[in-house]
Amino acid sequence: MAINSKKLDEILDLYPSKVKRNRKNHIVVRDTTTVQEIEANTRTVPGIITNRGCAFAGCKGVVLGPLKDMIHIVHGPIGCGYYAWATRRNKAQSDDPKNNYISYCFSTDMQESDIVFGGEKKLAKVIDEVVEIFHPKAITISATCPVGLIGDDLNAVAKAAEAKHLIKILSFNCEGYKGVSQSAGHHIANNGLVEHVIGSGDMEEASGKYPINLLGEYNIGGDGWEIARVLKDIGYDIISVMTGDGSYEELKNAHVSDLNLVQCHRSINYIAEMLETKYGTPWLKVNFIGVQSTIESLRNMALYFGDQDLINKTEEVIAREIAVVESVIDQYRMICQGKTAFCFVGGSRGHHYQGLFAELGIETILAGYEFAHRDDYEGRDVLPHIKTDADSKNIPDLKVTQDEQRFRLKLSPERAEELKEKIPLSQYKGLIQDMKDGTIMVDDLNHFETEEFIKILKPDIFASGVKDKYVIQKMGIPSKQLHSYDYSGPYAGFRGAMKFAEDVANSFISPTWNFITPPWKNEPLLEGKIEEGK
Amino acid sequence: MKKDKTGYRNVSENPCNMCMPLGGILALKGIEGSMVLLHGSQGCATYMRRTISEHYNEPIDVASTSLNEKGTVFGGEDNFKKGLDNIRLVYQPEIIGVLTTCLAETIGEDIERMAKEYIKDREIEGFPIISAPTPGYAGTQAEGYFSTLRKIIMGLAKETKKNKKINVIVPHISTADLREIKRILASMDIEAILLPDYSDTLDAPYTKTYERIVSGGTKVQDIASMSGSQATIEMAEAIDDVISPGAFLKQEYGVPLYRIPLPVGLKNTDIFINTLKQITGSVIPLDLSAERGRLLDGMIDSHKHNFQGIAAIFGEPEHVLSAVTLCMENGIFPQVIATGSKTHRLEDLLYESLAESEQDYHIMNDTDFSHIREKCKNSGVNIAIGHSEGKYLTEKEGIPLVRYGFPIHDRIGGQRLLSVGYTGSLSFLDRITNTLLDHKYINYRSTMLQKYYDTRS
Repeated sequence: MAINSKKLDEILDLYPSKVKRNRKNHIVVRDTTTVQEIEANTRTVPGIITNRGCAFAGCKGVVLGPLKDMIHIVHGPIGCGYYAWATRRNKAQSDDPKNNYISYCFSTDMQESDIVFGGEKKLAKVIDEVVEIFHPKAITISATCPVGLIGDDLNAVAKAAEAKHLIKILSFNCEGYKGVSQSAGHHIANNGLVEHVIGSGDMEEASGKYPINLLGEYNIGGDGWEIARVLKDIGYDIISVMTGDGSYEELKNAHVSDLNLVQCHRSINYIAEMLETKYGTPWLKVNFIGVQSTIESLRNMALYFGDQDLINKTEEVIAREIAVVESVIDQYRMICQGKTAFCFVGGSRGHHYQGLFAELGIETILAGYEFAHRDDYEGRDVLPHIKTDADSKNIPDLKVTQDEQRFRLKLSPERAEELKEKIPLSQYKGLIQDMKDGTIMVDDLNHFETEEFIKILKPDIFASGVKDKYVIQKMGIPSKQLHSYDYSGPYAGFRGAMKFAEDVANSFISPTWNFITPPWKNEPLLEGKIEEGK
Repeated sequence: MKKDKTGYRNVSENPCNMCMPLGGILALKGIEGSMVLLHGSQGCATYMRRTISEHYNEPIDVASTSLNEKGTVFGGEDNFKKGLDNIRLVYQPEIIGVLTTCLAETIGEDIERMAKEYIKDREIEGFPIISAPTPGYAGTQAEGYFSTLRKIIMGLAKETKKNKKINVIVPHISTADLREIKRILASMDIEAILLPDYSDTLDAPYTKTYERIVSGGTKVQDIASMSGSQATIEMAEAIDDVISPGAFLKQEYGVPLYRIPLPVGLKNTDIFINTLKQITGSVIPLDLSAERGRLLDGMIDSHKHNFQGIAAIFGEPEHVLSAVTLCMENGIFPQVIATGSKTHRLEDLLYESLAESEQDYHIMNDTDFSHIREKCKNSGVNIAIGHSEGKYLTEKEGIPLVRYGFPIHDRIGGQRLLSVGYTGSLSFLDRITNTLLDHKYINYRSTMLQKYYDTRS
């Protein structure tokens, strides 16, 4: 059964009228004949079982955490540090294992007395201790809710410690209550990295050909490694990855790249924009999830550099990979063909995975994001029309200006305009472009709506996270965790697509499901009873 | 910084514990028809749901008042009320537990007053809203768990007729353990009120229809009548009276309190059964005696493997105490004993049994895994017993881990590991012995080679 506006009303009728009005604006039944708007990045309705997290999660958990050669100190009570400890499966490897802190959790473990008397002194001592024990090259400090409330001056503590230890110490005021979701934390982290890290290296020029940064790739389950494998084979010089398997040392010199690739638009577009202003480096929206999207992204990159050797090499690598991947995907498609999926993830995967699902013959009938903004749904053209509210104003934009020495126009304005016609250069069209008529686009989906949408649309698979995983499975439907990949992966690039196909297909054909019949499948089409013949 | 002799550090490196509200959620999940609302930033609810879900493999619905900057300035009462409204409409719970977080406590939210006013305002006299302050900085999940249970009883218990029932209050144990305790009580024909009882709510069978609030849990009216029970058995030795639910029932309603260890191991299970017998006069059924005999038989069978064990035991205080007892009665020496909770009770409680030991041992409270690892390094410790974060000891020091307690997120089935009673203890002991054997078999040939062949040449 499809969902129309009337059906949607019925679902939302259970809410109080104000909540109903609110939630209705976050749900769009796609009609491609009209221009549709969605409400996003606004306050969560209290008491709704949202899947959203907090600013701290976005800052420390998502953006900073994967930087392997920095020590990340959580200034706050122990819970925040514990819950953000190695839970995102952002893999990292280091040539110098002593300089890789990815598996550690450092916290100031604030106690009641720290809340009353302030935690600055303890934080300073904690910095002294980690410096003495680990000798890191750089440290980040992330604030949790109480820190801002009791007025600890993180910045001052960081500055003093920097002077004392002569290493880089960054502080982030990413208290959990800031903004409306993780998104606020991404922005705060982006600002800090641009202000204090990127450009602080001595490098003036990249040593290799086609120098690039890969932004918004967090190396979940090794995604970044698979992407890097292909990019290196083609001949790109990857200066830095932000931030999966990322490194402070590499990030310092990210200014020398000729192109910034943006994988997750939501969490990192601020850096992409700021680097364009500061160093004249354009950014290209890429999507390395799915075979076709990967191919398209690679071709767009080659087109950007416009070098025939690079274009040839790109085609050569694509052909080589296709030869391996195609038959494998074909095989799994036989199992998956004709099935339907819900795809509700954080801020970009809700869009990225649709292509990969389609390659397997699976149609995405509902998609959405936990914490995205309108531009992630409707495309960046909507940006000038987004009203800023009090919540977004609380996260200040970092004003950057042209770097006098290092600014270099990578493209002539004419060439840039010409390219923009062909490739998504400094542009993202949003999720809506791929949503077909009658499909549902939903922002900040909660447990109640999840349940109702499943009952009506009966998807064959639901891609989301661990918090709704068991609701879905209890309803007899396979779930695919797209935050942690259910301890699998990589899913990106060519080899990732094969792994994803295998995992998804196997979740359909597992004999376990033979023992489960969803209740609606047993419902007779006609009500009535069989009478014995006379 | 100079490291002092006690090894005190300000930094917490790889924590051994979580925070108070998480324990509060677990306690409330064991009440029939309950929903939980966390008053604070929504990240707390999200993080804790994630953590609990990974262990229980169940949906963990916890709502949040989603306070933001405005709430921190003007207070969160508006969100608090809206949150309660929405939960009541969508989930139709029979009881709501409201827990605070660091944020709510730091800005000084009085949730008890707010809950009272809400009830008055919405004209829902009699609807139970339990408010429990659980600031994340004031303790671990273990303290949050017990203090919330106490608040639940304080909120629900009423002056009532004396009856023959027994209150059984348990620490955060597995759902299989809860079922085992119920089975033992039933086998002795004892009517008991088990608090909390999340054996169904957090380990729900697959059914054809999905229930938004899973059935099961301790009934609200049963909790109300706990004040009339003939006794309370509280399986918690390490907690302070101020957060003890049993102590409240004793002070307020004169219900005699028997505070006993978690029935893990022969001695502790004997204490449990004996206490039941003492209170109710019930006969010990033959089956239970046979189970005791079987445990003893199993202990004898494995004793020559067990005495080779030197253990590091860590986790919540009650888990630690119970595992230490099981190890000691089987000849496994608990060399490193650690908890993230701030409590000196471990030392006091274990002093007597460990005092005679000639081997060195370490009891640590308010500690983290960097300290635990330090004490395990080159110390002969060859088995670790505790929750999943102990995998760090396996990875860094090669010490195998027997998973016990919470959370167990890197293995399936942690929520239904059986460890209590005679039957459970044997199953737990077997898991320990087999881990020692695994370790031995993997290393046996190379050890022999080293000892006799390599040194000869």
